[in-house]
Amino acid sequence: MRLKGIKVGDSKLSEYLQTVFEKFELRVRKGYYYTEDGLWASVEDPKIRVGVTDYLQRTGGDVAFVELVKLGSTVQKQTEIGTLETAKTTVSLLSPISGTVEEVNGMLLEKPELVNSDPYGEGWLIILTPHSLEDDLKSLMSADDYFQLMLKRLETEHEKLESR
Amino acid sequence: MRNWSPDRLNSTTQNKVIVIPCSGIGKALGTVGREATYAIVENMRKDVTQTICLALLVSGDEESVQLVQRNKCITVDGCPLRCAEKNVRIAGGDLAASLRVVDALRENRGLKPKSVTFLDRDGQQLTRAVAEQIASKVDAILGA
Amino acid sequence: MVDLPEKMVGIISCSGEACVEGTISRIATLLVLEKLRPAQTVTICLPLFLAGGKEERAFARFYPTITVDGCQKLCAKIGTERYSGKPASSIVVTDLNGNKNCSTTGSKRKLDDQAIGLAEKVAERIAQEVDEVLNHWK
Repeated sequence: MRLKGIKVGDSKLSEYLQTVFEKFELRVRKGYYYTEDGLWASVEDPKIRVGVTDYLQRTGGDVAFVELVKLGSTVQKQTEIGTLETAKTTVSLLSPISGTVEEVNGMLLEKPELVNSDPYGEGWLIILTPHSLEDDLKSLMSADDYFQLMLKRLETEHEKLESR
Repeated sequence: MRNWSPDRLNSTTQNKVIVIPCSGIGKALGTVGREATYAIVENMRKDVTQTICLALLVSGDEESVQLVQRNKCITVDGCPLRCAEKNVRIAGGDLAASLRVVDALRENRGLKPKSVTFLDRDGQQLTRAVAEQIASKVDAILGA
Repeated sequence: MVDLPEKMVGIISCSGEACVEGTISRIATLLVLEKLRPAQTVTICLPLFLAGGKEERAFARFYPTITVDGCQKLCAKIGTERYSGKPASSIVVTDLNGNKNCSTTGSKRKLDDQAIGLAEKVAERIAQEVDEVLNHWK
C-alpha cells in the first residue's frame, strides 16, 4: 500500500507489523488483540495482559501520570480502567475485556515514561482474570485489522496537513 | 567569519552556574525548558548563571567543554530522553543538578502547554514553575 | 513488498541559546513546520540527532535535509554532514540579514518586531528551499 509519508512493512521475521510516519516508527504487535481506541490485550492463559499501542502513546504525547484501577476490582468491557495524563491531553483507557484485576503495573507510578518507551513490554498497564474471554475477544480487532485502521488514520492526518 | 553575541562565553569563567536546556524542538516542554533557562540567566539569577548551546557542546566545541568541566552545571530536559543531562555527563561536566520539565508538570497538574513555537498561558505558567526550581538549585549550589 | 513513502524534508535547526539568531532559527523552523509546509516537513531535534537519536538519524539518512544555523559555528550543518550526509540545502540566519547580527532591542528570549520579521523572512526562505528540494526529487 502506498501512502504519503507512510512506509508499510510486514517482515515475517518480526514480531511486529510496522510503518514509518514522518520520522516515527509505529508498531503493532502480532498476535495481540486490539480495540479501536488503541488498547491491546495479550492472552497469557489463564490471564490477560492489557496495554496501549504505539500509535496511542505517540499521538498522546509524553506521559506524566498514569492512574489505574485498584487491584481486585471488577471491570466490564469498555469501562474505564484508568487514565494517561500527558503534556498535551488526558486519555481515558477503556478495558478491552471484562475481568478481575489481578495485577497493576506499579512501575508506572515512578516511571510513567515506560508507556512511551516500551508500550508492548514494560509499559503494560494491568493483568486481568477474564470473565468471558471468548465472547470479548470476538469483538476485538486482530493485529492486521488494527494495523489497517492505524494506516487509515495516518493517511487522514496527512491529508489534513496537506490541506492547511 | 566568527559571529559571536556580545556576552559570548568565556571559557575561564568560574563560580557561575551553567544552566543548559535541551531546547528540544518539536515538543512544547523543550520550549518550556529553554524559556525557563532564559528567565534565570537573563533575569532571576543573571549575575551568577549563564547558558550554553547544547548542540555546540555535543559537537565537541572546546570552549564549551571546558566551561562545563570548570563550573557547576544544571541541565533542564524537556523529555525523558534527557539529552542535556546525558551529554553534559559525556562531556565530563560537573553536573550538580538535573531537572526534567515533566517533573514540574507532575507538580502542576492540569497545565497543558500545547503550543511549541510561542508558549500559551499554560506554557508560561509551567515556565515560571520550572524557573523557580532552577533558581532554588542555583541557590543551593552557591550556598545562598 | 515495501513501498517507500513520498519525499519529505527534514529541517534541522540549531537552537543556539547563546545568540538571538539561534532563537530566530528555531522559530523560523517551527513556522515552516506548523504553518508554511506542514505536510512536507518534519523537524529533527538537533541535540538528539547529534547524540545518536535513532529516529532522527534514520530519517536524515534516507531523506533530504535542510539545515538552519543561527551563527557561523554551523552546528546543524556540520553535525548533519558528519552523521548522515551533506544536507540538500543550508541556511545561515546572518547571511539573510546582510551578513550581520540581528540588532534586536529585545532579549534572546523575547524577540522584538525586527527579530520576528527576520524569523518570518528565514521561514519563507526555508519554505522555498523545501519546494526546490522536493521538485528536484520528483
